[in-house]
Amino acid sequence: MTEEIIISGFGGQGVLSMGKILAYSALMENKEVSWMPAYGPEQRGGTANVTVIISDERISSPIVSSYDTAIILNQPSLEKFQNSVKPGGRLIYDAYGISEPPKRTDIDIYEINAMDAAAEMGNPKGFNMIVLGALLKVVPIVDIDDVLKALRKTLPERHHHLIPANEEALRKGMEIISKQ
Amino acid sequence: MKDSGNEIVLMKGNEAIAHAAIRCGCDGYFGYPITPQSEILETLAVQKPWETTGMVVLQAESEVASINMIYGGGAAGKRVMTSSSSPGVALMQEGITYMAGAEIPGLIVNVQRGGPGLGTIQPSQGDYFQATRGGGNGDYNVIVLAPSSVQEMADFVDLAFELAFKYRTPAMILSDGVVGQVMEKVVLPPFKPRRTEEEVLRECPWATTGHTPDRPVNIITSLELRPEAMEKHNLHLQEKYSIIRANEVRYEELQTEDAEYLIVAFGSAARIAQKAISDLRKEGIKVGLLRPITLWPFPTDRIIELCSQVKGILTFEINAGQMVEDVRLAVNGRIPVTHYGKMGGIVPTPNELIDVLKKDFKI
Repeated sequence: MTEEIIISGFGGQGVLSMGKILAYSALMENKEVSWMPAYGPEQRGGTANVTVIISDERISSPIVSSYDTAIILNQPSLEKFQNSVKPGGRLIYDAYGISEPPKRTDIDIYEINAMDAAAEMGNPKGFNMIVLGALLKVVPIVDIDDVLKALRKTLPERHHHLIPANEEALRKGMEIISKQ
Repeated sequence: MKDSGNEIVLMKGNEAIAHAAIRCGCDGYFGYPITPQSEILETLAVQKPWETTGMVVLQAESEVASINMIYGGGAAGKRVMTSSSSPGVALMQEGITYMAGAEIPGLIVNVQRGGPGLGTIQPSQGDYFQATRGGGNGDYNVIVLAPSSVQEMADFVDLAFELAFKYRTPAMILSDGVVGQVMEKVVLPPFKPRRTEEEVLRECPWATTGHTPDRPVNIITSLELRPEAMEKHNLHLQEKYSIIRANEVRYEELQTEDAEYLIVAFGSAARIAQKAISDLRKEGIKVGLLRPITLWPFPTDRIIELCSQVKGILTFEINAGQMVEDVRLAVNGRIPVTHYGKMGGIVPTPNELIDVLKKDFKI
C-alpha cells in the first residue's frame, strides 16, 4: 500500500504541521514515510503545500506527478492540484476558501466545513486537526491513536495540555466530513 | 547528550547533517545562513554541542570568512566543516582552491539551489560543474559525495571527513534543496569522540599544532614562486588525484542486470528516476539506474562496461546538462546519450522522465 497525498492551502493554516503530524503518525506504525514541503519565501497568507507519502515499501521519489488524495484549503490550491488527482482518487476540500467547487467526476470529492467547525468549537487553531480527522475517516492510513502518540512525541511538553483539544478536533473532522 | 542508538527518527536532510556532524567527532562548524540549508546551523544551535562534545559552532560574518575559518581549523589538523547553498559556495571557491593547494582537509556542504547568480531558493543540481571541476583556479579536484536520501546525508558526513583526512584534500557533500528539506526516516550514526590532541599530533604530522621543538616547522601555504617547485607540487597533487580515482569511486545500481536502457542520475534526481523506472518496468520496458555516489571521482569504468549491454543512456539532472558531459566522455560515442533536466528551481516529475525516455529511444 502506498498513499501519495498533497496538502495545500494558505501559509498559516497549519498545512506543513498537519503533514508533519501525519508523517510522524505513520512513523509510529513503522511505515515508510516522506514529507516534502514546497518551501519558499511564503509567510502567513501566501500559499503553502506539502507532499506526504506513506507506504509499506521503500519510497522512491519524494516528488510525484499525481496524487491519491488531495487536501485543498483554498481556491488557488484547487486550481493548481485538482487535475493532479489520480482517476479514482480523492479530493477533500474546505468549503470556506472555495469560490468554484471542484468539477472532476472521476474522483471522489468530499467537503468539510472545518473553518466553521473550528470557530464553533472556539478552537480556531484546531482547524488543521479537523481536516486531518476528516482525512483519517476517508483514508484510514494511520490510526487516530498513532496521531495522538505522534502529537505527544512531537509537541514540547509545555503544550501537552492541548492534546485533548486536538483529539476533539480530530474526532470532529471524522464526524462532519461528507461525500458529494 | 542523548544517544538514540539505533532508533529510527524522522528528520530533514539538513538536520541529519547537523546531528551527524556532532556524532562523528566534528571539531567545529563555521557557516553563514542561506536557504535551503539554514536548518544545519539552526539545528547545531539548538543541540549546543559546545556543551557536550566541545564542538565549536560559529555563525561567521560571511561565506568567505567561513571557508577561511575551516582553512585555519583544518591546518591545525581539526575536523572542521562549513555549509552553504550555491551562491554562498561560489563565494567560497578561493578558500577551497587554497585548501586544495595547501593540502588541507575539510568538509564543505552545498545544498544547491537554482542559479545562476542569486537565482532562486528552490532545488537545483546546477553546481555539478563547479563541484567536480574544482570550482576555483588551478589544477585540482575535491572529492564530491552526492547523497540521495536523508540517511545518506547523515552517513556521508563521517565518510567525507575520513576521505578528506586520508588524502589531505577538501571533500564536498553536494546535496540539493530536495534532499535538504525532505523529512525521511533515518538512523543516526553512533557517537564517536572528537580526536584528542595526542591523536591529532600522531595522525596529522603536517599540521600546525604549535609543538615545534622536536620537528621541523610545518608551513601551510598554497604559494610557491619557483615554477620548478610549483610544477613538482602539481605533479604530486595529480598523482594523489589518480590514487583517489583508482580507489574511491562509489556508485549504486538498480535493476541494471537485464536493463536495455540506462538512466544515469545522482542525488534527488536519482530518486525521481527510481519512481520512473518502476513505472516503466510495469510497462515491460527494461530500464536500469546507475547512481554515481562520488561525482568526483566519476564511475567512468562502470559506464564503459554498461555500454556493451544497454542500447542507450538518458542522463537525468536538475540542470541544463552537466554530468552528461562526463557520461559522454565515458561512452565516447559507443551508444546514444541524451539528457533531460529542468532549471531555475523547477523539479521534473517522474512522468516527464518516462515520456522523455520513450521519445528519446523511440520506444
